[in-house]
Amino acid sequence: MTGLINAVPTDKPDEYRNVFVFLETRKGSVVKSSLEMIGIGREIADKVGEKLVCVIIGNHLEPMAEEAAKYGCDKVLGAESPDLEDFKTMPYAHYAAEFISEEKPNIFLIAATHDGRDLASRIAVKSRTGVTADCTVIDIDPKERILLANRPVYGESTLAEILCKNHRPQMATARPGVFKVPDRVDGKNCEMDIRKVKVDPDLIRKEIIGFRPKEEFDITGADIVVSGGIGLGKKEGFSMLQELAEELGGVVGASRPAVDVGWIERDHQVGQTGRVVRPKLYIAAGISGKAQHIVGMKLSDVIIAINTDPDAEIVKYSDYFINDDVYNAIPAILKEIKKLKGEKVEEITT
Amino acid sequence: MALEIVVMIKQVPDSQEVEIDPVTKTLNRMKARNVLNVADDNALEAALSIKDKVDAHITIVSMGPPMADEAILECMGKGADRGILLTDRAFAGADTYPTGLTLAAAISKLDHFDMIFAGEETSDSSTGHVGPGVAEFLGIEQITYTQSVRFEDGYVIGERELEDGVEIVKAKPPVLITVRLGSNIPRRQTLRKKIDALRKGVESWTLQNLGIPPEWVGFKGSPTVVRSMKTIKEKERSAKRITIEEIGQMVKELSDSGVLKMEVKEQ
Repeated sequence: MTGLINAVPTDKPDEYRNVFVFLETRKGSVVKSSLEMIGIGREIADKVGEKLVCVIIGNHLEPMAEEAAKYGCDKVLGAESPDLEDFKTMPYAHYAAEFISEEKPNIFLIAATHDGRDLASRIAVKSRTGVTADCTVIDIDPKERILLANRPVYGESTLAEILCKNHRPQMATARPGVFKVPDRVDGKNCEMDIRKVKVDPDLIRKEIIGFRPKEEFDITGADIVVSGGIGLGKKEGFSMLQELAEELGGVVGASRPAVDVGWIERDHQVGQTGRVVRPKLYIAAGISGKAQHIVGMKLSDVIIAINTDPDAEIVKYSDYFINDDVYNAIPAILKEIKKLKGEKVEEITT
Repeated sequence: MALEIVVMIKQVPDSQEVEIDPVTKTLNRMKARNVLNVADDNALEAALSIKDKVDAHITIVSMGPPMADEAILECMGKGADRGILLTDRAFAGADTYPTGLTLAAAISKLDHFDMIFAGEETSDSSTGHVGPGVAEFLGIEQITYTQSVRFEDGYVIGERELEDGVEIVKAKPPVLITVRLGSNIPRRQTLRKKIDALRKGVESWTLQNLGIPPEWVGFKGSPTVVRSMKTIKEKERSAKRITIEEIGQMVKELSDSGVLKMEVKEQ
């Protein structure tokens, strides 16, 4: 237990070297967002000529450690025990903090998943240091070796750069899906230090008694989102959007008013009170573009807006604007896609 | 003995009323009212639904300016028994570390606690780091991101929402629980409880009540500092006007640039 104690500046920050990343595991493999941490961790370690060390806690770690090594780290540091099979905050935080006091890393990055956020601030408090949450831009000042942790605030409108100058390690949780997974290369050199540990029974205070895999519809991972708003005028408009979404291999989204009137279920809602999506293509059909919706889709690669109102807010956020009725535009898009697919079939067969 | 439950809450600007300033593209928070953070309302509801079934006593603890007592009174109007506002100029400018420390120091002054509830995160800071920090300062286990919580045979059972599913966790009190935004429908205040709340009032605690040094809290006690704030540059979008006749050309462009994948199903 840390007790009620303050954060303390580190006497000799120069003694703190190397970059730690935490590897989160699920059912025997490292999760994708942790591989993203290897990517950004490698980048900042290379800028200052330091090592990248992956921290892994759990059971049967070797295959996961070997796999992580292929993404480019210098060392894997692990704590292994049957008692660590499931994610349990207190023992996990304990071993992570032990590795910190032993190895004195300058930086520690953790993916901002639910388990990652569960763990991060406990590790920070144990190490009496700071942690910046949910970063989307991470860099390092190469001279001072200060972590430049940037996180969006005020509904993603502003990027705040946050520093932890005097405390070590400098910790951050980073938003999943923002940083790149590095290329997987066989046969990379990596030191393995996996330790069998005996967990203090006093640290085992919770038990995982069940797990239900996700079944519900999840809009956040889709490459293409076809969204409808109140401009559709009727519930049936969503069947038309569904047909287009299926043709494109995408999913259907919605604005809050369309959900509120009951045209579609709430798990389709995009926006501040719904989900934030970042697909390759976002089609906004009959959506005016209130701030609360824009926050949820403005990071899409390409945005097509369809609206009869040329002054609708959504127009400013679009790459293509079809100033027409959705019931003309959507069937036309569908027709053109089928046509183009037909041409591709011909190319293959001839 | 009654179950002692603490609910940590925060008063925040109402996100429904916050607008994006057309010029600066930042959120205009000036117009917004201050309200109880919605996820904290869900946390209170989770605590109250336990109190509906077993003998329990709920204490609200919040750190904030004097006006934040409104949010605490609202919680008492819904059924919380006691309200404590930690308010002192010394607390201002705190990052998640001293915020957690201040809240934990106050909770440790209570005679006893079995459960501590909090929302998964606040709508104005969105870190989710304060709850777990409090658990660490107090040396207790935690169940975060719960969509439902029950108290059975002396155990807390929480269903945690994770990226790939729902994990069911069992822990013996004392335990800290954070609650998912929108995971339940918070009850309304009743007139009777509102009157009781006004009669009882909200206790105001300052740094002196907590017995920790001034340099441990607020801005001075914060390991992190904000160096700069930059408006996130909106991606330049051309809003290219497309007629129905030009849709074919648009689809071709999107296909050529790889945005649309024209995967042809094998025959």
